[in-house]
Amino acid sequence: MNAPVIKRISSVAKLGDLRERLRAQKPAGGGSGTRQILVCFGGSCLASGAKEVRDALRLALEAEKLGDQVALVETGCMGPCVLGPVVMVGEDRTFYQGVKPGDASDIVKQHICGGKRVERLLVYDAAGKTPAPCREDIEFFKRQTQIVLRNCGWIDPERIGDAIARDGYAGLAKVLTECTPEAVIAEMKASGLRGRGGAGFPTWLKWHLARESADTVHYVLCNADEGDPGAYMDRSVLEGDPHSVIEGMAIAAFAIGAQQGYVYVRAEYPLAVERLSTAIAQARACGLLGANILGTQFSFDLEIRMGSGAFVCGEETALIASIEGKRGEPRPRPPFPAQKGLWGKPTVLNNVETYANVPAILQKGGSWYASMGTPKSKGTKVFALAGAVRNTGLVEVPVGTSLGELVYDIGGGIRNNRHFKAAQIGGPSGGCIPREHLNVPLDYETLADLGAIMGSGGLIVMDEDTCMVDVARFFIEFVQEESCGKCVPCRVGTRRMLEILNRICEGQGEMADIDRLIQLGHFIKTASLCGLGQTAPNPVLSTIRHFRNEYEEHIRDRHCRAGVCAGLVRAPCLSACPVGVNVPGFVSLVGEKRYAEALRLHRERNPFASVCARVCFHTCEDKCRRASLDEPVSIRGVKRFMVDQEVTVQVPEVRENAANAKRKVAIIGAGPAGLSCAYFLARLGYQPDVFEAEPRPGGMLVQAIPAYRLPREELAREVRMIEHLGVTVETGCALGRDFTLTSLREKGYESVFLAVGAPLGVALDVPGANAHGVTEAMSFLRQYNIRGSVPVGKHVAVIGGGNAAIDAARTAIRLGAQSVTVLYRRTREEMPAYAEEIEEALQEGVTLRTLVHPESFEVEGGRVTGIKCRAMKLGEFDRSGRRRPEGAEDAACEVLPADQVIVAIGQALDEKALAGAVEVERTSRGWVKADPRTGATSAPWLFAGGDVVAGPSSVADAIAAGERTAVAIDAMLTGAEHAFWRGYSDPGVAFDTSADPVAYSREKLPAMPLERRRQNFAEVEQPWNESTAVRQAKRCLRCDYGKQPCDCGQA
Amino acid sequence: MLNVTINTKKIQVPEGSTILQAARQMGVSVPTLCNMEKREAIGACRVCLVEVEGARTLAAACSTPVTENMVVRTNSTLARAARRQVVEMLLSEHDGNCPTCGRSTDCELRALAEEMGVSHLPFEGIKAKAHIDSSTPALVRDNAKCIKCRRCVTVCGEVQGVGALFPQGRGFQTVIGPAFTRDLEGVACVQCGQCAAVCPVGAIVEKSQIAEVWKALDNPKLHVVVQTAPAIRAALGEAFGYEPGTRVTGQMVAALRRLGFDGVFDTNFTADLTIMEEGTELLTRLKKALVDKEPVALPMFTSCSPGWINFAEFYFPQFLPNISTCKSPQQMFGAVAKTYYADKIGRKPEEVVVVSVMPCTAKKFEAQRPEMATNGVPDVDYVLTTRELAKMIKEAGIDFKSLPDEEMDAPLGLSSGAADIFANTGGVMEAALRTAYEIVTGRELPVDNLHVQAISGLEGIKEAALTITGTKKEWSFLEGVELKVAVSHGLANTRRLLEYIRAHGATYHFVEVMTCPGGCIGGGGQPRFTDDSVRLKRIAGIYREDESKKMRKSHENPDVKKLYADFLGKPLGAKSHHLLHTHYHHKEK
Repeated sequence: MNAPVIKRISSVAKLGDLRERLRAQKPAGGGSGTRQILVCFGGSCLASGAKEVRDALRLALEAEKLGDQVALVETGCMGPCVLGPVVMVGEDRTFYQGVKPGDASDIVKQHICGGKRVERLLVYDAAGKTPAPCREDIEFFKRQTQIVLRNCGWIDPERIGDAIARDGYAGLAKVLTECTPEAVIAEMKASGLRGRGGAGFPTWLKWHLARESADTVHYVLCNADEGDPGAYMDRSVLEGDPHSVIEGMAIAAFAIGAQQGYVYVRAEYPLAVERLSTAIAQARACGLLGANILGTQFSFDLEIRMGSGAFVCGEETALIASIEGKRGEPRPRPPFPAQKGLWGKPTVLNNVETYANVPAILQKGGSWYASMGTPKSKGTKVFALAGAVRNTGLVEVPVGTSLGELVYDIGGGIRNNRHFKAAQIGGPSGGCIPREHLNVPLDYETLADLGAIMGSGGLIVMDEDTCMVDVARFFIEFVQEESCGKCVPCRVGTRRMLEILNRICEGQGEMADIDRLIQLGHFIKTASLCGLGQTAPNPVLSTIRHFRNEYEEHIRDRHCRAGVCAGLVRAPCLSACPVGVNVPGFVSLVGEKRYAEALRLHRERNPFASVCARVCFHTCEDKCRRASLDEPVSIRGVKRFMVDQEVTVQVPEVRENAANAKRKVAIIGAGPAGLSCAYFLARLGYQPDVFEAEPRPGGMLVQAIPAYRLPREELAREVRMIEHLGVTVETGCALGRDFTLTSLREKGYESVFLAVGAPLGVALDVPGANAHGVTEAMSFLRQYNIRGSVPVGKHVAVIGGGNAAIDAARTAIRLGAQSVTVLYRRTREEMPAYAEEIEEALQEGVTLRTLVHPESFEVEGGRVTGIKCRAMKLGEFDRSGRRRPEGAEDAACEVLPADQVIVAIGQALDEKALAGAVEVERTSRGWVKADPRTGATSAPWLFAGGDVVAGPSSVADAIAAGERTAVAIDAMLTGAEHAFWRGYSDPGVAFDTSADPVAYSREKLPAMPLERRRQNFAEVEQPWNESTAVRQAKRCLRCDYGKQPCDCGQA
Repeated sequence: MLNVTINTKKIQVPEGSTILQAARQMGVSVPTLCNMEKREAIGACRVCLVEVEGARTLAAACSTPVTENMVVRTNSTLARAARRQVVEMLLSEHDGNCPTCGRSTDCELRALAEEMGVSHLPFEGIKAKAHIDSSTPALVRDNAKCIKCRRCVTVCGEVQGVGALFPQGRGFQTVIGPAFTRDLEGVACVQCGQCAAVCPVGAIVEKSQIAEVWKALDNPKLHVVVQTAPAIRAALGEAFGYEPGTRVTGQMVAALRRLGFDGVFDTNFTADLTIMEEGTELLTRLKKALVDKEPVALPMFTSCSPGWINFAEFYFPQFLPNISTCKSPQQMFGAVAKTYYADKIGRKPEEVVVVSVMPCTAKKFEAQRPEMATNGVPDVDYVLTTRELAKMIKEAGIDFKSLPDEEMDAPLGLSSGAADIFANTGGVMEAALRTAYEIVTGRELPVDNLHVQAISGLEGIKEAALTITGTKKEWSFLEGVELKVAVSHGLANTRRLLEYIRAHGATYHFVEVMTCPGGCIGGGGQPRFTDDSVRLKRIAGIYREDESKKMRKSHENPDVKKLYADFLGKPLGAKSHHLLHTHYHHKEK
């Protein structure tokens, strides 16, 4: 360390002089203002090579003979840990990320010498297009208010002069000369600061109580036993700005009349211990610790005590016991430490962050601090953003900032374009906040209302790949291991909770387990001795509260939707498939060129192999573990190749059954749900009758999905296959018009499956909506797809952001529209349409206008001529976790000319068709109410499934509903379940467990050239050739290999 | 005074009272488990949870101080359910092999389960990991039964100042035991058995020798004699439903005879003998110090209590020379029985089996010390605790309460009242003073009813001073000497006393140390459960036994005199030295 030796500072005035002197020679090290390079030496940057970067920078400076002109400062954590190592250069604070030693000479030559920024090292916006060169330009920093972190990243923590130059010890100096202890406490009261360790007890009150406790000896303790998984706020402060903590403790000592303090740091924080030790030694040398500080009567000294890593030692009484050399475990309170603490003496115990606030409060005043935050929680809070968020790191925001702001504005949203699922706040004592509550202000009361706690500030962001049951299991496993074992509820109760959760995660749970967990959780909370036990069940209780359906799926369906729980997931792709197709099976069969077997395996669970090869949304690929190596297996691509190899139609086992064949089952609606139901019933020997209102079977597949995505012959072939199994499809036969539910019953149908979908479009209720030229997407698409022609305008506007909107737009382009504009009120990221469809549409010439809202239609002579649109901006988060579009009153309106408007804002039931003698129970949202597992409705013989139950959803979901209903109808008719296809099917393919994964990267399916797409409906996507397909199939990692057969298919 | 409402009734309690104390004051019963008399509440077990109005959580009555106008409900549904659930949790962790557990009839956990209406275990799961530590001769610990209430930790650390037992590990893996998960053998445990005495379940018990004793009794070739320690007679009755302190000497003798012992004798006999030997030893030391001016270890400490011997060997080796060389009465009995008595009945020492009934677990250890054998034959073969004897009586189907009073056998069954009070803290000292004073002065000890009040009772460290005047000629060197004595019981008190002596030099002449609180009547092998009220009743019973006798001084015991005349010669003589004295050695921790 080459810090200049600073002599003992004998008075407050001399501290002021020194500060001025240090500022004048700024920056530390002797460089001039613009010539300073700050290298982040926070733990995360060190781990990613900050030392090597510093060495390289030094060499580069020396090579340019700038070694004594440019200061190289090693600072504490700058915040954006994910970008490390980070470096800040010059007075304009150019911020470089991901710096490698090899970048050093560019930084020195190009920036320091040449005055030109190194563009490639700058931070870019989410789209990766616009650079944010300076610290102040970066979203991550823009919205922060740094009090605790005021010096982190700006000073060399090992040089006390750096701290003094930035007002270090100024607060203490002011206190020692201008304040009485009572005045200090009054100032703290005015600030409204609450303990940042988690519980939020008013800091001033703690100090007041300790001061009031009559005793000659008092102690000041600092809790730096930060142990929450994912939290590192305190570590970063100790590493980056230890002097603020020392100063805060000295002020507390002055206020309560203590002369000795201890900092209790985890031994796992060696760097923090080292820097704090250095800081204490320097402060002592400067007379800022020890006897007669700054020449006053006040004496105070500090020692470090290392904790051996017991989580419970973060509890104050356990921490005190540990300092005393006893087993670190809590004792009953009262007496509170303020009355009887370390060695029985009145003791103030605050955490690192709390103390780091204190100097600023005393320097700038309590009311300054209280001007930030919420009415009940003042000031700022530091969070350690971790998990699935883009910008992980350390951030400080005013208390009351919303979770959404933290995750999206500062955190940059979710990595890999996933969706936010929940945030775990407060560590093992905290809870999970789901996306419905992205808007909540992060303050003590609101979080408590949601079943979480502020905690010390660990904030773990989770996406859909996180299983909430597993999260609960993880945290309860942590606390049950970290419980001190003293009191029974915590020691035994948490263990019993873990056992129940383990059972659930292994597929051995019972429905009653959920209530058991709740009961046990409440018991542990109310009965435990200390804060650890009293909060230990929070992660479980909060996940049950917000994600009960996931628990139920684990127990009832033996299904883990996130694909995490090993006991429930044979392979994540298989688990993610709503239909339960044996994905690794058919993919690896394709890899062995056994196409017929692959097809049969696919059709074990899904008759529509060819359809799904084209239109499936492939949730399987989202969960593919190959993504952790490079990119997911292109499962749909492999499937596409597979179905193209079908010469004779491959049907798996069909069990003839004369008894079943005689029983009459009616299916209303020949969409994917109805036809799948028919298919599976036929495989059980039934011969169901399918009634379809439209002239052609296929439902949405034929009515809505354009032929360029799904060639009609492909669909027809698979419908014919189903008919060949003994299914009768009667088209042009509509419920409500040609027959009713009652009439079916009268004809002797023992069971009826209602799968009529949600065929109607939803109109937009704005002025001019009835004008000629305004239509809605469903009828537009249906008219073209069934009748073969539909009127199309020259300038078409499509309103909406879903698949129907994109299908309508692309259809209009093909039918000769000169311009097609899709209007959407949110941004492209929020559009529900498949991303690849949007991309194709844009390539084909569709224009996308986002953040616009149609106010009214311009009408001339009864014909629409345009749309008056209001510009929108994204406001607060709604319950779907998306930002709600808001139109400001004064927002600009513009008129978009259009002679045709296609409204694609939703789908609805055909109420007329449903109206009949049979009363069908509905959900609150108007859909038919049916058991999601069986399709059973309020009438014992009537089943329902597909869009009529779930609202518009995917083809795969509809197929799955059909399969489930087939099983349920059979069970209703025969009294037993015969779903023989649901068992485990071993694909019987070779797999070399010792081989490395093949290196081939993912390939896209080739597409028809753009110029050939216009004016026709030929299929856009083209298959691979065989060698490509086989290569791609071999990318599968075979996650299913060796897994015990389990009946965890989605049944 | 503070106002508090408990279950709608208002009372006033002194400041600093806990909810538990307040409840008890008004006669409301709240169950407890980890809580211990006179010890700071640790709040670990949570079976005393009660509801406090306005509190976020339930409160442990034992550790929660009453505040002004506090409103407490001990009986609300929430509190009852929580207490029940705590017991359910404990049972789910506990091995639950109740029928084969030695504590099946007096298990506090079972009693609590019944009291709280536990009918089934809604949350079953893995049990505490089993580890049986039978490494010492005295005690057996079974982790699978341990419920981690920590009474043993408290008694070992705070009452005995030994600290051989700790909580270790975390979470469900927490175990209570010696450091570094060693067995007791591997640490400085004095084997006093106070842990076994306070354990609410069967997790720490004495190592039973019942089977060995039955086997010896069944062997016709053996002559099996039994000795009963002074403290047994005031406690054994508790195992059969008598009040603590009820003297059952006669019925005990009858029961032992019915169990088949060939001789029913009394450790009291050798307690009288001990007074003769130890009193003489003290006077000899005093003479050396005062007359011969020889360096001699003073104060002299009593040596009757084997836990104390272990304690000194581990922790205070510098005081080993101060400890009387006398074997304890138990060992003196064995030595005399296998020589003098064996000779009398014409048996070889190997054919005589000596069984002791002791209030103590450390006696089991003492009996197998290598120092405690004569010519390779152990003085005492088997040691039973009071509890073990009660079990044997029950097992034999003896209806204890209907037994007649019977007398001990001669010649080792006759004893003085001074021997009886060996059971109480201060008793050995009082017995010694009765004899020594009379030897020196020829007059009876000049205190009311022969009791030295200053050294009786439950105060942890007691002292007395007695100026000796009017000495006989041969003891004239003691004329005018103020004899200073001290008494401690409970090893934490003893530690304090020793540290005081270490700091201040030989401020006393004679010090009595008893390992267990209250003395032997509070020994680790006595019927459960022992608290101060039980101790006081047993102490009173013992004093009544003493007072009921005509012969209340050891030196008056005619059979002891006869023993000297026929066999031993004189106190501290060669034979005595060989049979009745020993030395102890520093043990590394």
